[in-house]
Amino acid sequence: MEVPGVRSVTIGRVLSATLLAVVLTVLAAGCGSDSSDELNGITRVPPAKTENVALPDESPESKGKTVALKGEDGGLMLVYFGYTSCPDVCPTSMADLRLALADLDPEQRERVQVSMVTVDPKRDSGKVLNGYLGHFFNQGEYHSLRTEQPGKLARAEKAFGASHELGKPDAEGEYDVSHTAQIYAVDDRGVVQVEWPFQTDPELISQDLKNLLENNSNPDA
Amino acid sequence: MKKLALLLTLVLSMGVVLAACGSDDSDSGSSSSVEVTDVWTRATTPTQDTGAVYMTINSADGDTLTDASVPTSVAGKTEIHETTTDGEATAAEDSMESGNMESDSSMEGNSEEMHGSGDMHGDSGAMMGMKQIDQLDIPAGETVTLEPGGFHIMLLELKGQINDGDTIPVTLTFEKAGEVQVEAVAKDE
Repeated sequence: MEVPGVRSVTIGRVLSATLLAVVLTVLAAGCGSDSSDELNGITRVPPAKTENVALPDESPESKGKTVALKGEDGGLMLVYFGYTSCPDVCPTSMADLRLALADLDPEQRERVQVSMVTVDPKRDSGKVLNGYLGHFFNQGEYHSLRTEQPGKLARAEKAFGASHELGKPDAEGEYDVSHTAQIYAVDDRGVVQVEWPFQTDPELISQDLKNLLENNSNPDA
Repeated sequence: MKKLALLLTLVLSMGVVLAACGSDDSDSGSSSSVEVTDVWTRATTPTQDTGAVYMTINSADGDTLTDASVPTSVAGKTEIHETTTDGEATAAEDSMESGNMESDSSMEGNSEEMHGSGDMHGDSGAMMGMKQIDQLDIPAGETVTLEPGGFHIMLLELKGQINDGDTIPVTLTFEKAGEVQVEAVAKDE
């Protein structure tokens, strides 16, 4: 290693890093109104849309009434496709989501609903789903979405780009399930604003939620 | 000098404490070089029939975990599992903490672009599943962590809800160290 050159190289690096930071700041300022560039999760271009996708909701409030997969006015619906016999991935996702929601102020939290769509309706009855989601979320905050019609489930999955597969049952009738494990945030127009892959840091999820909810509450921004 | 004496006392007493811990782990008399720490299980919901136990295993000489069991009053069956992404094991990749999501997306849609940043990993749209494994190798001097999204001891046919703070006795069987008894603490997190 030559010593004399080191110092100037370092300064050069610092300078270019500063320059880069300035350029980036200017760029970011230029598109300040578009929040999607600041989101931590994955955004798609064009975004997925959940138009006309609705599923029966077995939650105590809805009792089987069909619910559209989108946020209420000015709110967000967080949608997850999973199953309750899932020992690792699903409870981890739900526990992370609970942590993310706990970080919102009450006014914002009221505008967020959580929907779990079971990909295993045979084992997940409405009662099982309610018991599962009621452990993680407040009553009135979650939807237990379940259909026994494979076509209906497939259409809902397709709208999000989600999928699942049921394995062959063993001698005892038990079977494995594999599934996409994203959490999708859908706005009140049915647009999937962002999706978070499995094990996204709950802090990053809540940052995104706050960002989207702030933007959504002010349509003129 | 006083400081040195204090430090020495501290080190010595820690040694005693460690020795005390070590002695009740290995009842079989075989020279157990396996160290199992941070054993926990996720508290379950009232309607869940499965659970997962996580832990950290360390072995100075190398060993293999061949079996795990819990009392039948807790769960009917216990299996060693690994969570997979699109059929591939994910545990090995877990050490790569901050992957760039843009580069490893495996979405099928051709006109779709993905934008993402932040400290995350995992494929977008990837299918997550799990598979049972017969044994789990603990290479000499290495630490193998059973954690969410990776290896876990799966509890099947749960007999009741596991609540925050509950403890579950777990018997681990290693090829060399034999049976090692540990306790999993339930955490609702």
